[in-house]
Amino acid sequence: MSDDAAASSAPAPGSAPPRRRILLALGPPVRFLLRRLAMVTPILFGVLLFTFVLVRLGGQDPVVRLAGPTASVQQIEEVRAELGLDKPILMQFGIYVAKVAQGDLGRSWLNNRPVLADLRQRLPATLELLFLGVGLGALIGVPVGLTAAFGSGRAFDQISRIVSLFGFSIPTYWLGLIMIFVFFSLLGLAPAPMGRISLMAVEPPTVTGSYVIDSALARDPEALWSALGQLVLPVLCLAIVAAAPIIKQTRAIALDVLATDYVRFARASGLSRRDLRRIVLRNSLVPVITFIGAELAGLVGTSSLIELVFAWGGAGQYGLTAILEGDFTAVQGYVLYVTTFSLAIFIVVDLLVFLLEPRSRAS
Amino acid sequence: MITRRRLGQTAAAALAAPYLIRPADAQAASTLVVAATRTPGGFDGDALKPNTQNVVVQTYEGLTRYATRQSPDGRVRIDASRVEPHLAESWTSSPDGKTWVFKLRQGVKSFYGNELTSADVVWGWEKSLAQNRTGAFIARVSSVTKVEAVSRYEVKFTLSGPNAIFLRALTLYTPSIYDSTVMKQHVSADDPWALKWLDTNTAGFGAYHLQSLRAGQDAVFVANPNYFKGKPHFERVVYREVPSAANRLALIRAGQAQWTEELTQRQIVELQQDRRVRVEGEEGTGHASVRMNPRFEPFNDIRVRQAILFATDYDALNKSVFEGLGSQARSIVPPMIDGAFPDAWVFGTNIDKAKALLAEAGKPNLKITVEYSQIFFWEEQLCIQLRTQLARAGIELELKQITDADMRARTAPNRRDLPFFTFLDNPIVLDPIYALYLNAHSAGASNRNGYNNPQFDALIDQALIETDAAKRLQLARDAQRLHTTDATWLMTLYPGSFEAMAPNIRGWVWQPDLHERWVDLTVAR
Amino acid sequence: MSDAASSPPARSWLRTLPLRLRVMARHAPTAFAGALIVGGFALLALLAPLISPHDPMQANPYDVLKPPSGQFWFGTDGAGMDVFSRIIHGSRLAFGIAVPAVAVAMLIGVPLGLFAGYRGGMPDEVLLRAMDALRIFPSIILALALVAATGKSLGNIIIVIGLVDAPIFARLVRAEVLSLRHSGFVESAVAAGNTRWRILFIHILPNAMRGALAQSAVRLAWSIRVSATLAFVGVGVQPPTPEWGAMIRQGAEQMVTGEWWVALFPGLALVLLVLGFNLLGDAVQDWLDPRRRTGVR
Repeated sequence: MSDDAAASSAPAPGSAPPRRRILLALGPPVRFLLRRLAMVTPILFGVLLFTFVLVRLGGQDPVVRLAGPTASVQQIEEVRAELGLDKPILMQFGIYVAKVAQGDLGRSWLNNRPVLADLRQRLPATLELLFLGVGLGALIGVPVGLTAAFGSGRAFDQISRIVSLFGFSIPTYWLGLIMIFVFFSLLGLAPAPMGRISLMAVEPPTVTGSYVIDSALARDPEALWSALGQLVLPVLCLAIVAAAPIIKQTRAIALDVLATDYVRFARASGLSRRDLRRIVLRNSLVPVITFIGAELAGLVGTSSLIELVFAWGGAGQYGLTAILEGDFTAVQGYVLYVTTFSLAIFIVVDLLVFLLEPRSRAS
Repeated sequence: MITRRRLGQTAAAALAAPYLIRPADAQAASTLVVAATRTPGGFDGDALKPNTQNVVVQTYEGLTRYATRQSPDGRVRIDASRVEPHLAESWTSSPDGKTWVFKLRQGVKSFYGNELTSADVVWGWEKSLAQNRTGAFIARVSSVTKVEAVSRYEVKFTLSGPNAIFLRALTLYTPSIYDSTVMKQHVSADDPWALKWLDTNTAGFGAYHLQSLRAGQDAVFVANPNYFKGKPHFERVVYREVPSAANRLALIRAGQAQWTEELTQRQIVELQQDRRVRVEGEEGTGHASVRMNPRFEPFNDIRVRQAILFATDYDALNKSVFEGLGSQARSIVPPMIDGAFPDAWVFGTNIDKAKALLAEAGKPNLKITVEYSQIFFWEEQLCIQLRTQLARAGIELELKQITDADMRARTAPNRRDLPFFTFLDNPIVLDPIYALYLNAHSAGASNRNGYNNPQFDALIDQALIETDAAKRLQLARDAQRLHTTDATWLMTLYPGSFEAMAPNIRGWVWQPDLHERWVDLTVAR
Repeated sequence: MSDAASSPPARSWLRTLPLRLRVMARHAPTAFAGALIVGGFALLALLAPLISPHDPMQANPYDVLKPPSGQFWFGTDGAGMDVFSRIIHGSRLAFGIAVPAVAVAMLIGVPLGLFAGYRGGMPDEVLLRAMDALRIFPSIILALALVAATGKSLGNIIIVIGLVDAPIFARLVRAEVLSLRHSGFVESAVAAGNTRWRILFIHILPNAMRGALAQSAVRLAWSIRVSATLAFVGVGVQPPTPEWGAMIRQGAEQMVTGEWWVALFPGLALVLLVLGFNLLGDAVQDWLDPRRRTGVR
């Protein structure tokens, strides 16, 4: 049952019930968005429950560490009660969900800071890396994929396929290490892999959280230069790994479009090469965007590894460390962020598709 | 081939671009920048969060402290056998050793300008006892039952019995002495000890005071202008969070930090040859040990335990794990403590002896598992080396890594169920009986391998109340002989504790809590 | 083809081998290269104890972090263990994890996909939703969290990787089943009175498996990558077992201080083997889906 169908067959808007009227008036994109958002909550809930149980399953016990080296059995139990870890799991979960609904993600027991604040502080770094990396990868990958499809079977195609296969096979973290070794240790071209800005530079006052943007806003050329310099290697690393699947998929999509009857007819009718390309581009746009969106969501894990190698200080590094150390609340917060981010990407991509592709609205 | 020097030069060149230090740091001359592993998670000595101990010792000082003496090599070291007055001016004790009255120094002021009175001491002790954590443990170990104010500058301690550890325990940072006037302004009905305020503030009579805290970035301390010993050399200390050891190394090399925490042994070796950094070290009180729990097979057989000790190649361990910087451990009481007795350790490498013992025990092909974590830098490496070494005696050693949290949990007093594992303990009170009690008495809080020897316990119980110094020393010696021969600890090496600092810094004195005291540091001309 | 009647079959097979190899190399270069690489590593894995110059887990305390030399071809690592021997033995673990993991993934995913595709309705919906939720979550992080929670044993790692991989097989098989359900030969089988199980296993399954098997090479590549990543992050097999990811982890520290060999060689081995599987997988997928191989000229 689609609202559009209902709208077309419904009586004049004035006679519909008030809530219905508002919904109809808002227009298809918003209705689409609302529908999507409604699906988000159960997914988030399910993922959260899964994670909650999972970390506690691990049998890691933070209590002893917190109680201190000289704690007695009784004191250990007191600390456990303080943290609320002595209650049954489902009750703990209920308390946690209630807090999350109020915006409190709890405190990391490892460094005693609120998880939400920690994540928020680190999020800009991760987003900067992710978007720049995937953006660069797409900037390289899409044209290469398209060119390969057009010149299919010829040298460029073969070479790009081999290159793309390499991209699939190289472990990101290893690539990062090699790049650090070559460009920093050997050649001295790149700055030290010590985070987002040189340790000696002054960090710009926080506006967006991105050092590049903030130092530009603060008109601080040294900080800007340093932040840009630190970005080069990690972004390049991520871009190389992101480009490989983009090349492959863009090529496949373009080939599919080239094989459709519509395009074959156009070719047979003698359409110029340039016009042909434009048609293929237009028709490939939507699936390619969808794919890049999926890539973006999927590369969250890989970018975390890059963050580790380059000491980036982003949310990914935070999350990985939390998982390894069994820091319950931090892991839960991190999982929540990752899921929300992925869902947001998918929703945005779906919305873009919805807007760009009228035909998909009929479903 | 990349040499370390060329690498260091490249790093320095890459870093020595014309970047500015923050304008506020312009008085660089009297600012100390410390490259730390983390910003402190709190400032309550009783609720140990990451890096709390590192800074609490700078802001809170005790009634007494260890005297220092100049060693023949010109170094200043603490004299563990002598305790001298600090915040207390003098003290008297009753003949039965159960009542002590401390006369406080007059005119000692905190950063806030309030004078130290007996009320402050009492408040701090009551807080520790109420929280029932580290401070309370120290109180118990020192047999303190009551602390009360006798007059404005006199505090009376009541002990349950004579206790030789008591005076030394007062050198510790907990139970802390707070400026109770300030603390009381921040208490509330459900926070009677102002613990929440202590998360982000300090109020002590020590040399430094917390000025600002940016969690995850840095904590800035200023010198207490009213410090009773006069102004320290460094007026400001920037305690900066630099999580990666490689980064801390780079900072100190580039001169952008004057002190770093926690470098790896390998980095220390590198730095020792680097003119831009000064490295100082002491043997310290903690040695790398692999401990066996006699409750579990096959470690219940003393022959098996001793065989493992004989099969270990200590030289090879030193070379491969500790860069040759370690020194052999021969007793759980470290050599720097008066009363350490190394002579009972006879377990130099002897493969034949090991094989003979194993054959005698009926276990010529032993299969055991060692569990380790990442708490200490040497754990995994040592186990890997040990595996090859023990194989020469026919012992098959399997390695198993467990999480840090697990390691602490399973070696805690309520569990103690790890059969064979790695750990390092630093006795913080420099007293042989304290060290023996802590690590090997059946009621000791750090007796992680569950050593339970009634004979040993009896010796320690006796020593705890023994007032005659010579008898006490003899009891300590006997206890050590017992423990070392029982061979439940595979004692390897003291990694040593090293500090890396700027080349012109002087004044570092090793402390049993392994933290430098900023008040000690000066700059050489 | 040569005259098979005049010479015994085995000899003629052997004699024509060089020719056939050349033909394969010319017509299907990617498959050939891939098979060569994978076969080479498999051989290494099989013969590891025979061809390793040193014991891969023998710690040499006086030879720590030595550069490549005549004695240690790829140098030694932080415990003095020979990198070359560890790489050879590491290939055992690579296969030893990836192959069972993909088997587990197929064992879980294929039946699920069959069931969901054939039954349709509620179970299908549930499966779809579950797989969607899994797709949203980055697989590395999921695998990491699962292994960290359940413990770092070889068995756990295999099962976890298999679990994370299973949805892909499920989805593939489900799609195949859906399209086959209404195909001509299935409908005629139904009309002929075959039972549901017969149809499922005899008619549908073999065709659905084609797609799954084609995926398996790529999945093997992915499993090797994931197990190395898990080891790199710190939840791999227990050291000192030679595992390429763990070796890279150890070598990462050494990179900055200049001992490049510790991390470089295991990484190269990893890249090569994963590339080999990817080449194979690519070739197989091309073979099954001719449209991909060449576009419209």
